[in-house]
Amino acid sequence: MAKLLSALIAVALSTAVVAAHHSFAAEYNANDQLTLVGTITKVEWTNPHTWFFIDVKDPQGHVVNWAIEGGAPTVLYREGWKPNSLKVGDQVTVTIALAKDKSKKQGNAYQVKLPDGRCVFAGSSGPGGTATDNCTPGRR
Amino acid sequence: MSARRVLGGAVLSLVTAMPLALVAQWQGYPTPRIPRTADGKVNLSAPAPKTADGRPDLNGIWLASRAVFDLRQAVKDIPLSTEGKAIFDQRQATQSKDDPSARCLPTGLPVRALLRTPFKIVEGPGTTAILYESGTRFRQVLTDGRPLPKEVDWAAWQGFSIGRWERDTFVITTGGFNGKAWLDQAGHPESDAMTITERFRRKDFGHMDMEMIIDDRKMYTRPWSINAEFLLQTDTELLEFICEENERDSAAIGTKP
Repeated sequence: MAKLLSALIAVALSTAVVAAHHSFAAEYNANDQLTLVGTITKVEWTNPHTWFFIDVKDPQGHVVNWAIEGGAPTVLYREGWKPNSLKVGDQVTVTIALAKDKSKKQGNAYQVKLPDGRCVFAGSSGPGGTATDNCTPGRR
Repeated sequence: MSARRVLGGAVLSLVTAMPLALVAQWQGYPTPRIPRTADGKVNLSAPAPKTADGRPDLNGIWLASRAVFDLRQAVKDIPLSTEGKAIFDQRQATQSKDDPSARCLPTGLPVRALLRTPFKIVEGPGTTAILYESGTRFRQVLTDGRPLPKEVDWAAWQGFSIGRWERDTFVITTGGFNGKAWLDQAGHPESDAMTITERFRRKDFGHMDMEMIIDDRKMYTRPWSINAEFLLQTDTELLEFICEENERDSAAIGTKP
């Protein structure tokens, strides 16, 4: 599993073009990535970037709410996402670049994978919409 | 009530319902008056359309063929002056945290054209408007023959633009910048001495070339060019992009005014 996880992260890294969009580098560390599995608690389909929040169980069983920044809604919309594509209660797997401020449970999404396997490169920092090898591009 | 009236009522409600359904679905609504192949695909290599007076028609929605956030992606050797380099280095060292666009203030003209969000050109008599999806902003390029103002008593983020045709190339000259925007997200600076010349040439139906010449003798040692290609975006429309709606990043990085 650890191997799979690192392979997944390697793929995400190789396809993610990290540019200093919206002071990305000031807020996030592109080299500090994490894959989380959680349940969506809130979705903000807003400019300049989308946000969603997920409850993630830590190894001790405590539920922690993470804030995830996604791509610009206009860009995601043209990729086929809609304001209601992510719904409260959906279980998602997300690969994020962690916020530099470690006091926050916050990340910038490189990839959001839905339960049915569809996924979208959601990063606000790069060209986006590019599915990785082990992901089907999300269109819904 | 006659059957005809009922039918008329039904047709009427269909007619009123249809545009509503389409309004919600402008993405995918076929752009009218564009060449398509037999299977309905847009023929992007068809000849560029002409206006009634024989000039190339630039109207349409355009998107950079390659997104550029850092102009070094597109330009090999950007000739920063000593002053320009000091500013650029400082912005790089602080990871562009002070980029005005991170606080929803305007981006510089080069990066705005090269983002992953399209812009729309609308040619009217005396004015060509450029509507940018990014930030829902517009520029007006005056084409009525007036010169650029000799003196600017109120410098502007986007400057003042005039446009003219040189054969098949639309040339926009812009001056009167306030120098506050960044040319890109890497932090290439601009000053109030800057003039930008944009040269647009629509090669065929779906492709338009641009050369953008930056002439800013305070920040750079000589004029330099950014070359880009734009692709016509069909069956789509500009989307609303109100940056101020939920801008959380500047608070997170401590640059909120």
